[in-house]
Amino acid sequence: MMNLIEACAVVAKQRPSDSLLVATMGAMFAFDRIDMEAAGGDASRRPPGRISSVPLMGGAAGLGLGLALAMPERAVVVVDGDASLLLELGGLVTVANARPDHFLHVVIRNGTQFSGLGNLATLQPSLSFAGLAREAGYTHTEVIDSAETWARRFTELLSQPGPTFVELMVEQVPPRTGSGFELSEMPDLQFSRMGTELTALQQWLGTTP
Amino acid sequence: MSSVKLSDFSIPASACIDVMARNRVDHVVTVPDWVQLALHQRLEEGLPGVRLVGCSSENQVVTVGAGLALGGKRPLLMMQNQGLYNCINTLRAVSLDAQMPLVFMVGQFGREYANLGQPSTASRRTMVRIMEPLLNAINVPFLCLDSQADLVRMDEAYALAHARRTAVVLLVSAPMAWR
Repeated sequence: MMNLIEACAVVAKQRPSDSLLVATMGAMFAFDRIDMEAAGGDASRRPPGRISSVPLMGGAAGLGLGLALAMPERAVVVVDGDASLLLELGGLVTVANARPDHFLHVVIRNGTQFSGLGNLATLQPSLSFAGLAREAGYTHTEVIDSAETWARRFTELLSQPGPTFVELMVEQVPPRTGSGFELSEMPDLQFSRMGTELTALQQWLGTTP
Repeated sequence: MSSVKLSDFSIPASACIDVMARNRVDHVVTVPDWVQLALHQRLEEGLPGVRLVGCSSENQVVTVGAGLALGGKRPLLMMQNQGLYNCINTLRAVSLDAQMPLVFMVGQFGREYANLGQPSTASRRTMVRIMEPLLNAINVPFLCLDSQADLVRMDEAYALAHARRTAVVLLVSAPMAWR
């Protein structure tokens, strides 16, 4: 098993500079941390080409597919969550049917919702997402449970023709809740960042209407 | 029996295709709709310059459409009224919060023919009757395609969507015609 930071660091370090990255919320926070550390704390130096599907569970694969169809010359990495993917399981069929090349769909399989907070169990812990993706028609599917294998396989998986799916077995982050715990108010950034990132991505891609 | 003549309200699929071309639509993203079946069949046969992207749910229609638009394309999102109800949260995220301009073409499935030419809010069917009030409530502009003459509203929809950075919904009132 690997932890979430290790899983996302492979993507952050190895994805091509002109590639596009779509992430759901858990992975988004990991990429924020990795990118900020790499940029020496200077947000303006964070790598471009990323958009977060937030707050929108289940939306990452669709956003990534649209980008891949619009810009087939660019590789697209989607980092999904297991609970998010369960919301739009039919999206596996949608992606497979459209057959985008250099499209790497990763699911972070940690078996929890609100990971690192309340750690509610996701449904059907024995469900094989890689098996579902294979049945849906993804060209290549894999289950990877070590950071070393993931780091070694990433570039080849991203360069595959047709959509590729990887189920990454990731450790749970310990929960923080308990007696007396209070949830902090959700910051405005959570509701504005998708729009901010969308505008920035349009500018970077040169697709602003 | 209704005395309404359906052909007065049916938009020919071929006329719709002409207006899509004028609006430079390059992708149609869809969960198919009974009301727009004639157009779906034409799209499935293949149209030069238009890629048809079928989806398993309307939430995916919205996100795939958003990704295409983000990548510089001009998608048209086609679905049924039931489908729009299904994807309100995704529309909220993508077009209301993130302000991605998107144009939807939504069939008013279940609209009784006697209601054609009357306000849809007077329909006896909930599925039809609540559509316009719902769109008003969530501040999404809509334009009604009640006959072929209204197709010019697709031009208006794309202009409005981009000017206001929002979703705009074209409501198709009657089953499209196979011509």
